[in-house]
Amino acid sequence: MPVQVIVFGQLTDIMGNNPVMVDNAADTSELIEQLNIRFPALVNKPYIIAVDRQIVTGHTALSGNNTVALLPPFAGG
Amino acid sequence: MITERKPKNIFTQGPIAPSFIADSIQKHETKTNIGGHSIFLGQVRADLINGQKVAAIEYTAYEEMALEKMHVIREDVFAKYPLVCMHVHHSLGKIAAGEICLFVFTSSAHRKAAIDACTEVVERLKAELPIWGKEIFEDESYQWKENK
Repeated sequence: MPVQVIVFGQLTDIMGNNPVMVDNAADTSELIEQLNIRFPALVNKPYIIAVDRQIVTGHTALSGNNTVALLPPFAGG
Repeated sequence: MITERKPKNIFTQGPIAPSFIADSIQKHETKTNIGGHSIFLGQVRADLINGQKVAAIEYTAYEEMALEKMHVIREDVFAKYPLVCMHVHHSLGKIAAGEICLFVFTSSAHRKAAIDACTEVVERLKAELPIWGKEIFEDESYQWKENK
């Protein structure tokens, strides 16, 4: 099942403004590995990961219906 | 009595007009249990970076997540301080230097709760809401804003 990935802020300079689909990612670590191959500029960029709007850490399992968001440092206000 | 608050939209397209802020203050004259208001206004600063002046900041947000997170902050702050009311407005889109991009307004019977709650909301929303700002220079080049 493909997972939808959305990005914001400075990461849109690398991945654009449209959702990116990633196939066969069992967890967030596999997902990031695949994204790093497709978008080498993503490697070492600072961001946190949200799965369905909840911030996650470590290897978080993905079901295929999830939306994964990569969130660079916040700059509101 | 426990009243459940629903997530409110905090986002406004474009700058926050000073007249909107004045109207918001005016609307509180019927709430006579209030004895103190505290207001924070964020204004877009024309920073000079490597000889280039910031002309505007273009704000974007992960809106659904930001509204959920703001709801949590609102609940926490209402639980912590005896507030009568709290209003938060944040701009999206391009805001020119000198325009208002953030309006936080807290009210309480006595000043301390309003002042402390206002500060806490501003600090938490800057740290916790997924909002980003693109600093656009006068020649249309840009860099991404970092919160200090």
